[in-house]
Amino acid sequence: MENVLEVKGLSKKYSKVLAVDNVSFEIGKGEIFALIGPNGAGKTTTIRMISTLLTPTSGDATVAGASITQAPQKVRENITYLPDEAGAYKNMTGLAYLKFMGGLFSTDPREIDRYIERAKEINQLGDRLKDKISTYSRGMARKLLLSRAVMTRPQLAILDEPTSGLDVLNAIEIRKTIKKLSHEEGMSFLLSSHNMLEIEYVSDRVGIIAKGHLMVTGRIDELKERYNAPNLEEVFERVVKENEIL
Amino acid sequence: MKFFNLLRKELKELINAQMIASLAMIVVIFMVFGNVMSSTISEAVKSESSVTLSDCDDTEFTRSLLKKLEENNVTVRKIDTSADGDDYVSILRKNDLKSIIIIPRGFTEALDSGEKPELITATEMKSAALVDSISDTSSGGIDKIKDILSDEIAKRSGITDEELENIDSPLTLTENTVISGKSAKISTDAIIGRVMMLNEILPVIIFVLIVMTSQSLMGAISNEKIDKTLETLLSAPVSRVSILTAKMLAATIAAILNAVVTMVAFSAFMAKAAIDISKDAPDALNNAAVNAQNMIPDDVSGNLSGMLTAQGAMRELGLSLTPADYLLVGIEMFVTIMICLCISLILGALVTDAKQSQTILLPLMMGVMVPYFISIFADVNSLPPVVRGLVYAIPFTHTFSAIPNLMFGHTGLFIGGLIYQVIFLAACMYFALKIFNSDKILTMSLNFGKKKKKKGAPAEE
Ligand SMILES: Nc1ncnc2c1ncn2[C@@H]1O[C@H](COP(=O)(O)OP(=O)(O)OP(=O)(O)O)[C@@H](O)[C@H]1O
Ligand SMILES: [Mg+2]
Repeated sequence: MENVLEVKGLSKKYSKVLAVDNVSFEIGKGEIFALIGPNGAGKTTTIRMISTLLTPTSGDATVAGASITQAPQKVRENITYLPDEAGAYKNMTGLAYLKFMGGLFSTDPREIDRYIERAKEINQLGDRLKDKISTYSRGMARKLLLSRAVMTRPQLAILDEPTSGLDVLNAIEIRKTIKKLSHEEGMSFLLSSHNMLEIEYVSDRVGIIAKGHLMVTGRIDELKERYNAPNLEEVFERVVKENEIL
Repeated sequence: MKFFNLLRKELKELINAQMIASLAMIVVIFMVFGNVMSSTISEAVKSESSVTLSDCDDTEFTRSLLKKLEENNVTVRKIDTSADGDDYVSILRKNDLKSIIIIPRGFTEALDSGEKPELITATEMKSAALVDSISDTSSGGIDKIKDILSDEIAKRSGITDEELENIDSPLTLTENTVISGKSAKISTDAIIGRVMMLNEILPVIIFVLIVMTSQSLMGAISNEKIDKTLETLLSAPVSRVSILTAKMLAATIAAILNAVVTMVAFSAFMAKAAIDISKDAPDALNNAAVNAQNMIPDDVSGNLSGMLTAQGAMRELGLSLTPADYLLVGIEMFVTIMICLCISLILGALVTDAKQSQTILLPLMMGVMVPYFISIFADVNSLPPVVRGLVYAIPFTHTFSAIPNLMFGHTGLFIGGLIYQVIFLAACMYFALKIFNSDKILTMSLNFGKKKKKKGAPAEE
């Protein structure tokens, strides 16, 4: 399987903290990969580097063959990024927002219209799209943002904690959408979360990260077997404990 | 095309109800401020009454005139200038004076033969600052002299005071203004009227430009940071430079729009204020106010046959701006706006929550307020050296003093200020670009050393 993302020895040091230490993994086409780990593990930092927002202290990553350090512009053409707890421009209507964001990915008005049509299908917001985003509930805003992130059919959609702060029903809806897009259209996803149960449901492969170290990567059933655990949460617990002893 | 998409969005964000509301606020503030200002003027004129006077005629009548002046609570300091003739520049310089009233030879004779006697004044203007101009105290003395003369004429000819008032001014007033070593026959009032435009309205425009530009851009950056839309933008296939340029350009456009609206509102107010003042303020101010409004010479100097046209006198004094001057002022304004944009960009990048964005502009606001008020009420060059140094360190001071400096011939100061601003701008730009082209735009914050407290419980627990 050809890889959409290849991360090679990525590290990031903030002024004092070594937030990400020598992280490597890859994501295949149509695959949903999740970085899981506790707060402050370095998930967002890793994701921001891959999204070309932060420059790595060392290491590199390629998205569809383009290097995040050498050709960040090329990388940005192939990804979309949804930050955790992201908002949208509150004074815009949902529709205006989609149009504006579409205009950043294409200059062809017909293409932009196609993006918007697709986003409408995915977010199912209907007429509410004509209202200002400031009147949206959290779940509606998230659906809008998710539809924005996938409407351009990027090679890799990067979603940082896509369901955090949502109620169960909204979270389920978001997960279903992600799964559907991956299975039916072959879109690749990089997610992050600290909700293990959710990840167990949605992702194909996971990477467990804590204190900046990526400890294990693998398919979920594979990991459950290896650590002899009934669910991902216990896998996680064992991995962390094992690494503390080392 | 993608750039216009960005620019359109930025403009829509900036030009909204909130902007219009803050614009209205500014107009209100200036109207209140304008009222305060006009009352300070009248007080300054009323309370002061001391004159330096040279009696070249030296007759019994002029001596009694001086005595009567003193009886009317005017402090008279007498000097002799008969040797200097009409070289007012050196008269003022030699005696270290700001203004002087001269009773020329033949004053009494003219009065005796029924002609209008001539009274000469010379006043030095160092700047167009309001206080500098109105602290010229000889106008009070002149009014008194006029009153006394009127009485005298009334006594001699037997007409009543009322009739007299209707006739004409009892004397011919020849006013001279001295500016940077040049002198011309024009009243300081007329000059104040002329430069009022520049002295009052221009600072307002500069002020609004600076405040609105900074606020817009700072808000545009910090809001995007808080909502994390900036991260989305930066991860989209557009260059950081075009995102930045679109923001800066939109902020500038919004600022210019603001400046125009404010300028129109403010000049309309100034015209109204001038009428209000003229109703109850003393003569001198009355004249100044009317001048300011209509640019017509006041009733006293209007009678003068030898009086230069205001325009001509201004040119003689070197007070008019050449095209080169306007170009320099334009460059100055441009540099100022760029400094604002860079500073607000840096400040905007520092903001991590909505509360901070309310207060973070305070230092910048102070940096604008101080030179703004100084430019209206005082002349920077006459401040004590330490204070002057501090005020000059604020880059915006040089914007406010640019036109007065050019008009009053302080070219060196202007050029020095401009060079300082360019250096300041280069430094700001360097930092702004460095921030925006690196991780700092996302990682910088005001909470130095403080680790971010993360939400939610860690999974290890
Ligand atoms: N701007 C910054 N400056 C300094 N240190 C930072 C900065 N941002 C993050 N860190 C530190 O880097 C480490 C990793 O943070 P990161 O945000 O990547 O964690 P995370 O896994 O996304 O956590 P969470 O689940 O809470 O979102 C933490 O120790 C954090 O304090
Ligand atoms: Mg995070």
